[in-house]
Amino acid sequence: MSLIPAALATATALGVAGVPAGLILPQRVRGALVGSLTAGVGVAGGTAGVAALGGGRFSASAPGLLPLAGAHFAVDALSGLFMAVAGAVVAAVAVYGIGYVAGHGSHGLGSRGAQAVLPLFALTLLLVPAAAAVSTFLLLWELMALTSLLLVLAEHRARPAVREAAVWYAVMTHLGLVLLLAGLSVYAAQAGGETFAALRSGSGAMSPTVRGLVFVLTATAFTSKAGLVPLHAWLPRAHPEAPSAVSALMSAAMVNLGVYGLVRVGFDLLGGGPAWWWLLVMAMGGLSAVYGILQAAMASDLKRLLAYSTSENMGLVVLGVGAAGLFAHAGDKALAGLVLAAALLHVVNHSAFKSLLFGAAGSVLRATGERNLDLLGGLRARMPITAGLFALGALGAVALPPGNGFVSEWLLLQSMIHGLAVPGVTTAIVLPLAVAVIALSAGLAAAVFVKALGVGFFARPRTAQAAAAQESPLLMLAGMALLAALCTALALVPGLLGDGLDRAVAAVGFAGMHPVSGGGLRVRLDEVSASLSPLWVVVALTVALGAVTAATRWASRRQRRRMNARLWDCGGGAPTPRMAYTATSFAEPLQRVFDDVLAPEQDVDVTPVRESAYLVERVAFRNRVPDRIEHRLYRPVLDFLAAAGQSARRLAGGSVHAYLGYGFFGLVALLVVLVVGW
Amino acid sequence: MVGYTAIVLQVGAVVAGAPLLTGLMRQTRARLEGRAGAGVLQPWRDVRKLLRKEPITPVGTGPAFRWAPPLLVATSLVLAVLVPLVSTDTPVRARADLILVVSLLALGTLALALAGLDTGTAFGGMGASREMTIAALVEPTILVAVFALSIPAGSTNLPVIVAGAADQPARLTSPAGLLAIAALAVAVLAESGRLPVDNPSTHLELTMVHEAMVLEYAGPDLALVEFGAQLRLTVLLGLLASLFAPWGIATGASLTAVLLALLLVVLKVMVLGMALAAAEVFWAKLRLFRVPELLAGSFLLALLAVTASYFLGAEGGGAR
Amino acid sequence: MSESLFTQLLDLACGAFLLAAVVVLWRRELAAIVRLFALQGVALAVIALLLGLHEDRWGLLVVAVGIGALRAGLLPYLIRRALAAFVAERDGGLTRHGGSEEARETQPLVNVAASLLTAAALTLLAYAVARPLVELDPTPATRALPVGLAVVLIGFFVLVTRRRALAQVVGFLLLDNGITATAFLAASGVPLIVELGVSFDVLLAVLVLQLLTVRVREAFGTTDIDDLRELHD
Repeated sequence: MSLIPAALATATALGVAGVPAGLILPQRVRGALVGSLTAGVGVAGGTAGVAALGGGRFSASAPGLLPLAGAHFAVDALSGLFMAVAGAVVAAVAVYGIGYVAGHGSHGLGSRGAQAVLPLFALTLLLVPAAAAVSTFLLLWELMALTSLLLVLAEHRARPAVREAAVWYAVMTHLGLVLLLAGLSVYAAQAGGETFAALRSGSGAMSPTVRGLVFVLTATAFTSKAGLVPLHAWLPRAHPEAPSAVSALMSAAMVNLGVYGLVRVGFDLLGGGPAWWWLLVMAMGGLSAVYGILQAAMASDLKRLLAYSTSENMGLVVLGVGAAGLFAHAGDKALAGLVLAAALLHVVNHSAFKSLLFGAAGSVLRATGERNLDLLGGLRARMPITAGLFALGALGAVALPPGNGFVSEWLLLQSMIHGLAVPGVTTAIVLPLAVAVIALSAGLAAAVFVKALGVGFFARPRTAQAAAAQESPLLMLAGMALLAALCTALALVPGLLGDGLDRAVAAVGFAGMHPVSGGGLRVRLDEVSASLSPLWVVVALTVALGAVTAATRWASRRQRRRMNARLWDCGGGAPTPRMAYTATSFAEPLQRVFDDVLAPEQDVDVTPVRESAYLVERVAFRNRVPDRIEHRLYRPVLDFLAAAGQSARRLAGGSVHAYLGYGFFGLVALLVVLVVGW
Repeated sequence: MVGYTAIVLQVGAVVAGAPLLTGLMRQTRARLEGRAGAGVLQPWRDVRKLLRKEPITPVGTGPAFRWAPPLLVATSLVLAVLVPLVSTDTPVRARADLILVVSLLALGTLALALAGLDTGTAFGGMGASREMTIAALVEPTILVAVFALSIPAGSTNLPVIVAGAADQPARLTSPAGLLAIAALAVAVLAESGRLPVDNPSTHLELTMVHEAMVLEYAGPDLALVEFGAQLRLTVLLGLLASLFAPWGIATGASLTAVLLALLLVVLKVMVLGMALAAAEVFWAKLRLFRVPELLAGSFLLALLAVTASYFLGAEGGGAR
Repeated sequence: MSESLFTQLLDLACGAFLLAAVVVLWRRELAAIVRLFALQGVALAVIALLLGLHEDRWGLLVVAVGIGALRAGLLPYLIRRALAAFVAERDGGLTRHGGSEEARETQPLVNVAASLLTAAALTLLAYAVARPLVELDPTPATRALPVGLAVVLIGFFVLVTRRRALAQVVGFLLLDNGITATAFLAASGVPLIVELGVSFDVLLAVLVLQLLTVRVREAFGTTDIDDLRELHD
């Protein structure tokens, strides 16, 4: 029992010690020392999480720590899951980060400011799930947002796009904060207390309207943090511009906390709700899943692709969470526990493979200076280990066996399919659609990662920078290897998580059900008969592969040597690397199929020769796939705000009397209202 | 013991019979088109010929190109083990999940697509791009059809579904069953790369989907690719036969039943193959951008199958 | 001190307090306004003194003396010094109009009659707002609470409607006087350290404003803030 507080205290101490370390230390040792401290934070926090998953619980209050309300902490299995995930990701990415900043000078992630903020960011990722009161939670949430903002800004000197991305991120995360603040404040006021215990006990007495309001506000804020439509626009901007280690942390640990918040508030504190809540959540999740992966299919910037893929995976997770709520509302707690377990398992798997993918993308960026897939290629020869690690991460991301993404998607599909046992026309209509959404996003994800791997890493280099790539330094590879080991473990023995997952699901009230049980190898569902053995699949594939190779060797035993031959070039000379398919061309059939959804913009600009309009001097072609939701939803809002601001300029006429008058009349009006309304 | 025998017989039949099935289909087409045809054994002869040629690696390709053909054949072999063609009472019956089967098929497609991109030629990329587009769009159909099939059986476990269908034939003639058959048939056409989605015998590169990916293969690698494609087709047709005409499949531990089931499944697959080949004579290949419409139609059929299964099944005694 | 005597004296002091504020609205000359402000400071000190005597609190008596010294002595002195600087400047120059332009307030934003009516309305508003507070604890001191609030509002009004910078400073100081009076009447004063802090703040504010006014005058030739309108977006 005392492991959790000790581990948390260690993590806090290391994290806080990292701030002066980052500011004071000279550049030679700064990266290594701060990286080690951050890794320590990760390990300590992860230990606390694992201990909580193993059945430990912890709660503490420190009344003097925060003014007015004091600080309250509580760790149960649900927070333990998220802490464990965040801890593992932080530890591995910290090791990766040491290699990333070594030799990069003191710009970007290696600068004093960024290094000072990094351990603090890691610490907030671990402490947010441990918060047990509204003020503590909001404080840590905001600290997390601010530190991540500063980290996103780390490379602002190198590229002007970073500032714009940071502005978008800052605005949207604070919009989320405002919604969260509003929702939680209403909740605390109505429930009569601000600790989670008070909220839990007071939620039953609140009217359905208030509960609905609280849920809508907090769900919008949390899904925005998770990168779901419609408040997702910060994700594809902030992730590419942040340094890759930071992108990995954000995508693999920070967005999870949006899911954590949704589960905590929706299931634990509010205790479930009417069906429309969960249908809304499912709609957001499903829409994000499909829209996110479509945009990823159109993206040729590698990190933007990965960011949209995060949006898609979070959409799937939230789809599962919504289904759990729907089932719980209908009374089938066993199935609700099952689908929630699937969603949480997908969170874990996603963190593992997404951080690996971002790490590999960071290696590529560092080696070539390019993020654009259309300008990469041939990296498997120059950076074989990075390519192999990216392939492993991609296997997880496409949700096919034997990857780790397959296990959680299988479980999710199983629980959706068996959800028809829940009576009601709503489920009968919603569940097939949910299955279709999951399937479509899985199929598109396969296309996306074939594109990323095939165009970016295979064939031959398309530019000189790609041809000049060197393998990453050892520490970066070590960090990625840790994540790869995690992916493999999750793929082959997912049952290791089995008990912890049960406890996490039980912590939100689906107690007494054991959705995932069985030994370390298999996922067997008790209520429904379906089972999956990932290890068996790997063994079978390996045996079959061996058999096929042996048979082929034997059959062609007379021919020993492999010959090299030229590629088929239609007799027109050797094909150049520029003739290979690019990411844009690979995605073109998909773009055509989903033309209505994506609404791509094409511009052809023909400049004729001056003397004759029939001869062309120059042709410029531009193809852009904008973010349609941004266009349709954000543009009008932003335009309206700009117009309102313009018209409000008339208030700032320059007359000091007017300014003073505003204050005076405001005060008098307030007093009059006070008198009249008394 | 009988179960192991069943598996061995099944795999052996699939491995030996895949090229024969392809040969039979080509022969059927040839006869219908008024040609003499090359004979049923021709695909075997082709495989043998190719295996004896020199192994060739095109310059500029890498491990993905090398390992895709064996991986394709390996996934098809694992599928041949899993799918209950001959008996539902095998040692692997707990592991034969329909979603796993669908995903292994997708894995094979993925491997070939990566190989196509690994060549760095325009044709390889084109084939990979088209194949992945079709694969992405066929996923919803297949999984919703799986959903529809699992509702009456209460599980996605293949032997359970097949045994249930064998016990209660009425399931298959219900509206849900028929819709599911139609949807899955279209999905099988797309997955195995047959007309009207893709023409396996085309020589025009710009009309190719599957063939463009494998344009660079030669010798033993090409033998593996072709063999793998034939295996996939056989397994898929066998899957269709088991799901929608499961009569005769062995459900117990009796050797005679197993042998009888083997004979029956061979007959069924032959009939299906010949029917498909005959239909192909009358079909033209769809334009690539008409294929999504076809797949959307099949998705709609699958969705209707699910809703029919729920609404009509609910009247007839519960959805589960 | 007997209750009725205390009540009478307190009401007298509060009346003087309020009257001073109202007359500030009436008079135009800056010198007169500053004198009225000094008078108000005296009234405020008397209020504090009376409260201290009534409740036998020596601390309050010390505070009363301090307030008197600050608000009736030091602050008016500083403002008068600024005023004298303008007048001296004028006399040093060539123009020889009777009385300095700076010493008089030009036509205020709201004319005198309207200002006085507004002051009456604000006093009524203050009484209405303070009624629930008075009902909480009806002692003679709290019954005089609305006076403090009224002076706050009137001081704010002065701040808003005067054109000359120095007159606005006086309005700001009236505002502060009103807040202090409210504090004393409602809660028998605030802790010493708060009072010290506030007084120091006010002193500093006046010093800064004085300096600023002089600079504005030097730069623009006038402290009529309406002429400074060009400073807009």
